Parts: sequence; structure tokens; C-alpha cells
Amino acid sequence: MAAEGEQDVLVPVGESETLRRSVTYAVERAHESATETGTLVTVHFVLPARWRTVQADPADVEAATSLLDRVLAWAREDIDELTAEDAPQTVVFESATVGTNEYVFSPGDFADVIAGYAATNGVRRIVVDPSFRPGGSAPILRSFETELADRGFDVLEAPVTRRTRRSLPFTDIGLPEFFVVFSASFLFYLALGGWHVTDPYELLTGVATAGVVTVTLASVALKGDVPNLRVVGYTVGRLAAYTPILLWEIAKANVSLAYVVLHPRLPIDPRMVEFDAAVWGDLPVTTLANSITLTPGTVTVDVSRRHFLVHALIPDAETDLLGGKLERLVRFVFYGRESARIASPRERLDDQQEGDS
Amino acid sequence: MTPIEILATVFVVVGTFFGFVATVGIVRLPGLYARLHAASKSDTLGSVLSLAGIALVLGVTTESLKLVFLLVFLFVTSPTAAHAIARAAKEEGIEPIGEDARLGDEEGEP
Amino acid sequence: MTSVLLAASGGPEVTVSETFSLILLAAAAAFTLFAVVLLYRVVQGPTTQDRIVAINVVGTNTVIVIALVSVALGEYGYLDVALVYGLLNFVMSIAVSKITVEWGGVL
Repeated sequence: MAAEGEQDVLVPVGESETLRRSVTYAVERAHESATETGTLVTVHFVLPARWRTVQADPADVEAATSLLDRVLAWAREDIDELTAEDAPQTVVFESATVGTNEYVFSPGDFADVIAGYAATNGVRRIVVDPSFRPGGSAPILRSFETELADRGFDVLEAPVTRRTRRSLPFTDIGLPEFFVVFSASFLFYLALGGWHVTDPYELLTGVATAGVVTVTLASVALKGDVPNLRVVGYTVGRLAAYTPILLWEIAKANVSLAYVVLHPRLPIDPRMVEFDAAVWGDLPVTTLANSITLTPGTVTVDVSRRHFLVHALIPDAETDLLGGKLERLVRFVFYGRESARIASPRERLDDQQEGDS
Repeated sequence: MTPIEILATVFVVVGTFFGFVATVGIVRLPGLYARLHAASKSDTLGSVLSLAGIALVLGVTTESLKLVFLLVFLFVTSPTAAHAIARAAKEEGIEPIGEDARLGDEEGEP
Repeated sequence: MTSVLLAASGGPEVTVSETFSLILLAAAAAFTLFAVVLLYRVVQGPTTQDRIVAINVVGTNTVIVIALVSVALGEYGYLDVALVYGLLNFVMSIAVSKITVEWGGVL
């Protein structure tokens, strides 16, 4: 296989909104080079795992398997469309899961495990899905693509585009976004100024300030589309129900911390705990991370997508954390009552697909 | 002293106590990550309680609205700032104190 | 000057009793003392992040001191200062954290 590896293509696979189109692109490229050179081309779909074999969560493993199955099914569809029915086979598919034996955190780590697989199978070309950001897309880190290119691969970015929106001049924001951010900052200005809504001076300076804020910061303030008001309303309502529970947890956390800190012998047992949380999306993950930080004995150190690295200070903290009470509560706030109790891996998987769509 | 002021005093005194805990924790605890616990939890609660106390006294006014903004803001940003600092520390490769051997085992060989 | 400040900020009619005002000032003094104690950690380090943590808490304490003094003295205009100080404190922590990672430590 290594001898024919010249034309082989590797596709790192992970949940992303443009995965479907990236698969098509990779299959088309592979088919092209296969017909050009007349050799059999292998397309490797490789899924970098976020768990390790020794402590794998069955839900994660199942999610990964089903994702790879889906990808293979899509790829077969695509190749059937490209080739005539009785044409000789040009492209074969393989799928694999890598990285189950090491911790992978940053884009560099992910690039390493992908590179390891590629070296074993003699693959030189990698098709990257631009929306797939293993290890997070924190601007302080170098991107996955750069890391791969540095390791000497031909990196092709699949030409998939996200939905484009009309935007106002000088900004990259649309009219609804502009309106939402503008009214929010205008109302905030008036509220801080004492709500003098009849004073033309206040109104004028308010409009000017809100205008400047919106033009410069709207693209930062709102990520993605204008939120659906009904969903936001429900979320805020459930958030209000969540706050007292959180406050109680915070009170407990502080009493236990005060005990530990003021105890003459400092009875602490610091350690790092890692786990994958079953929450999705920026805001829920942020809420969970902050809740973990505020509740007994734990501080969130690093989050990459759903993978949490938590520092636990007191012995009980680890047990509480892995009990998953907070996680359930956060799920309740953002996805409603049904997802608050995720019991079986099956349910977990279903919710995951919902969360992604 | 009105009853509201007495309640507010309780808030402020408890808030000051947690401010004290935060200070002692940051000075006493070993290691950056342990100090973050004190900074994120006790300091947040201390400041939020103190601000809530004085907001109570002011009643429903623009001023108490400002205090509530400040309170919510501190409540959200303190853990976020702690997290940013922890993450920066991790990126720089600062190891947590204690449990070194355990963590070394889990890291595996790169 | 005081009356001008109050007029500009449109302070409420609320006045606090003298005892309560003293309690608030005492709390403010305590928080100031904590800030001074925290300077030990700022000076001592040992890592940049330790200093940032301590400075962040000193900043939070400053915000509280401003708010407490504002109510104790009836100078409600100070609350705006506290608000801006809180925002700056947060931005400072995030910015310095990022810079230490990107430039490998500046302090």
C-alpha cells in the first residue's frame, strides 16, 4: 500500500457543520487522481479520539463509531455518483480512530497523532475540513492546518463555505445583528445614566455611543446568528431557576474553602482531574466552566471543546465533579428538562446530534 | 440603624470575612492553582456579598442598578479571569504542586 | 465641589445612618488592608501568573472599596468609577494572561 501511497488522501474527521461537503471534496479529489494515474487510491478517514482506551466513556466511543460509519456511507454515496455502475473500482475507503493512547489537547497534539497515522500508512496528502477545529481555535495557538503543513504534508483545505450573510458597509455584520447590539448598548447607556429618556442630550449621546460601540464591536459581541427570542426566553427562565442552586453550591464551596484555608495544617489534596462533559456550544460550556470554578474545591484550568481539565483542591471535590450534578443542571438550563437526565449512552448520542444541528 | 441597614451590615461583614479568606488563601496556599481557588471563589463571594449589602440599602435606584451591574459583572468575570490565568499557566507549563508523580504517570510518553 | 458631583450623578435621596456609614468605612479599611497584604504575593511571585492572580484580587478589592466609600460618604458619582474599574480589571487579567503566553512572560 505504501508504494501506491503517493495518491492516497487522509481526511481528519470530527463533528462539524461542513463535514458532509468536505467528504465529497476529498472523494472527488481522490477519484480525479485515480482516473489520471490509473491506480487504486485509498481515502483514509481518521478520527482523532478525545478519550483514552483505559478510561473510555462508552458514549464517546459509540459516537465516534457512528460518525465514522456515517462518513463512510457518505463517501460511498459520493463515489457511486461519480462512477458508472460497472466501472472498475478507483477509490477504496478506510476508517480509523487514532490518539486513544495519549492525551491530545492542542491543535499540535492532534496534528501529531494524524501525522503518526499518515506516516504508518504512507499518506502524503491531507484534506482538511475548515470547520473542524480539533484542540480548539484559540487565537493563541497555531491552527491545525499550519501544524499539519509544518509536518511536511500537502494540506488541502476543502473549499466549503459557511452560509454567507449580507452585511452592512464597513462592518461584517448584518442588519438584525446591528439592531440587536445597538438597542442593547443604547438601553444600557440610558440605564446607567439614570433613565432620563426625555432628555435630548442623553438620547443624542446615547445614540452616538451605541453607534460607535455597534460598528466597532458587534462582530465580537454576537457570534453567529441573531438568537431566537423564544429560546433565549426559556433559557433565561431556566437560568433563573439554576441561580439559587448555584448560589447554594457557592456558599458550600466557600465555607469548605474557608475551613481549609484557615485550618492551621492546610488539609489540601491538590490534583488535576480530566473529563469530557456532555454539553455543547460556547455558552453552555462557558457556564459549566464558570460553575465548576465557583463550586466546591474545583477550578477549571483548560477547556478544549468538551474536554475539561479541572484542578481539584479538596479530596471530595473529585467525586462530586465526576458525579456530574452540575453538568446535568447546565444541560437543564440550556437544552430543557429532557436532556437534564442523560442516562444511557444512547440518549447521550441522540442529544449530541441534536446539539450539533 | 434601620432593619435594612442591619441586614446590610451582616452582608458586608460576611463579605469582608470572605475577602479575608481570599487574602489568607492567596498568601498561604502552596502553588498557583491552589491560590486560584482562593482568588476565584472566596474573592467572588466576598465582593458580591459586600456589593449586595450596600445595594440593599440604596433600594430601587439608578445607583443600586449600577451596583447590581457591577455585582453580576464581577460574578461572571472573576471565574473567567481565573480560568484565563490558569490556562495561561498551563500553556506555560507550570505544573501543579503535589500529585506530581500521579500526573506524570497519566501524561504518558509523548 | 461635592454638591456639583452629586448633582451630576443625580444621587438618590437615601442617606445612611452614621453607624452604618462607619461600618462601611471599616469594611473599606479592611479591604484596603487585604490589598496591602496581597502585595506580598505580587512581590514574591514566584510565577507571573501568581502575580496576576494577586493583582486581580487587589483590583477587585479596589472596586469594592470605591463602592463602599461611595455609599458611606453619599458620593454616588464614585459608583461609575467603580464600574469602569471593574471592567478594566477584567480586561487587564485577560490581556496579561494572553501576553504572557504569546510573548513568554513580560513581568
